[in-house]
Amino acid sequence: MIEAKNVSKVYSVADGDFYALKDVSVSIKDKEYVSILGTSGSGKSTLMHIIGLLDRPTSGEILIDGKKIETFSDNQLSTIRGQKIGFVFQQFNLIQKLTVLENILLPTVYAKHKMQFNAKEYAMELLKRFGIEHRADFYPNKLSGGQQQRVAIARALIMKPTIVLADEPTGNLDSKTGEEILQLLETLNKELGVTICIVTHDKTVAHRTKRQIFVKDGEIVKKY
Amino acid sequence: MKYLSFHLRTALKNFGRNKVRTFLTSLGILIGVLSVVILIALGVGLRNYIEGQFASLGTNLIFVLPGQVLSEGGGFQDPGIGGITFDERDVKSLQRTPQVEYVVPLINKPVTVEANGISKSGSVFGGTADMFVIFNLEAQRGELFTASDVGKRSKSVVIGSTLAVDLFGDVDSAVGQKVVVANQRFSVIGVLKEKGGGGFGGPSYDSGVFLPYTTAFTGISPDKNFAAIYLGAVKDADIDQLVTDAETILLKRYKKDDFSVVKQTEILNAITSIFGIINTVLLAIGSISLVVGGIGIMNIMYANVTERTKEVGIRRAIGATKRDILMQFLAESILLSLFGGVGGLLLAVLIVLVVQQFFPLAINSTSVVAALGISTAIGVFFGVFPARRAANLAPIEAIRYE
Repeated sequence: MIEAKNVSKVYSVADGDFYALKDVSVSIKDKEYVSILGTSGSGKSTLMHIIGLLDRPTSGEILIDGKKIETFSDNQLSTIRGQKIGFVFQQFNLIQKLTVLENILLPTVYAKHKMQFNAKEYAMELLKRFGIEHRADFYPNKLSGGQQQRVAIARALIMKPTIVLADEPTGNLDSKTGEEILQLLETLNKELGVTICIVTHDKTVAHRTKRQIFVKDGEIVKKY
Repeated sequence: MKYLSFHLRTALKNFGRNKVRTFLTSLGILIGVLSVVILIALGVGLRNYIEGQFASLGTNLIFVLPGQVLSEGGGFQDPGIGGITFDERDVKSLQRTPQVEYVVPLINKPVTVEANGISKSGSVFGGTADMFVIFNLEAQRGELFTASDVGKRSKSVVIGSTLAVDLFGDVDSAVGQKVVVANQRFSVIGVLKEKGGGGFGGPSYDSGVFLPYTTAFTGISPDKNFAAIYLGAVKDADIDQLVTDAETILLKRYKKDDFSVVKQTEILNAITSIFGIINTVLLAIGSISLVVGGIGIMNIMYANVTERTKEVGIRRAIGATKRDILMQFLAESILLSLFGGVGGLLLAVLIVLVVQQFFPLAINSTSVVAALGISTAIGVFFGVFPARRAANLAPIEAIRYE
């Protein structure tokens, strides 16, 4: 479970302080399928970055599985990010010089403890489930957008994280491929019980999830 | 181990994508290491060569030379012009010291040697029959002159092999022929085995004319003086005692500053210390190119970090710590530098193997270790600043970077 309590993010600008997030509290429970909805500039990306431990809030606190992370060092944050959080980005963000399999296994290289399961077998299992196991040794630029996003999802899942944060996962895909990716995320939530949070500006995408958190001008205006 | 090989593989993959850039960056270090290794090889080779020349003289040798040869610090100093010369009286008195096995006075002059209408330049070595013992010279044809030739002032000479070939075509036909030196005719009674090189800064034995000093006194060196006297100590004798005795004897005639009695080991030490200084200077010059190469690496690594900001962001997002990123870029700069180091070393070995045909260069284990150690150190030193920049990128900024 991930919780944000009274989180604010303030940037200093020329004419005073700008609140990207203003006293936001939100919690995402295990196995939830949820979306953060908002227009561009609403603060939804900032919220995602803070929940995803890529950024620190100006005030307020973040709890992951009951642990407060505000006192954690940069090193500890990196480790928790690697173990507890999986990211899926709009631009896929695969590393071009690594093969599909190497990309998926990259988080395991940075994991400082010994893996509890055979990561390579698990990666192949995911690729098979996503129907792209024959692409394991390909480089990302040889893959279609939909295939690349599947690889990115597999990479997000490889550490068996607490939550997968997907930032506009369909933003760079045509509607058909986007639909396939959404279905894939839905299946992962339903069948594997993976907690998934989609960040999007697209209401139709958001409404596919079971719960929506609507962000506007740095505040949560509606929770369903 | 797995972690290390991961970083090395990542670095190699990057090089694969930027072959030209990798090559050019390594080239700077390659040239630096090449010049350092070659310069060391030159210094070591020269020293080995000169030490070898001295070693062939035997270890029981003491030199009596005019002027102050060695400075107090152990280096050489200029003996000065117009120093004293030694004569037969000195030789006779030195022969009376108990530890001495032989005393060899030496006349050494550049001369022109003529035979069959050909004239060649060479040098005269006038001494006693023991001269051949201390210089380690042996006859390959004919024979050497003896103590009785010295007594008789006989007009017999032994010539070096190069001179024999130059004057008579080959060593076999030289024996029994006549040579003319300083308008005097001498019979060639023997030809020496080839020795190569010369004494310390001196002329080559291979183009030498060796004759009894008594004979040299009759025309070649009419002033009857010696430039140096060599003393051979009785085996296992106390060499230091011989030095003291020789000094005591000579002090009766000369002032303390006018002559030196030097052990061979002292001269060797002086040579070693001089070449130590030469080597250090050469090394310092070579190091300049290494520093330039290092700056090249630093430059490229900074460009690398900027180019791969997004990649750093992605890696940080999926769990890489600052240290992971630091290690990744550091591995790259070290490997870049090591490529240059190994390349420079291999090239230096090739060059040394070729040059060795003409000049005694030598690569020792020190220069190998130094080449690899220095290039690693350069990789670390010049890589750590760009790597730290990469490690300190804020993940959120980096991942947004386009």
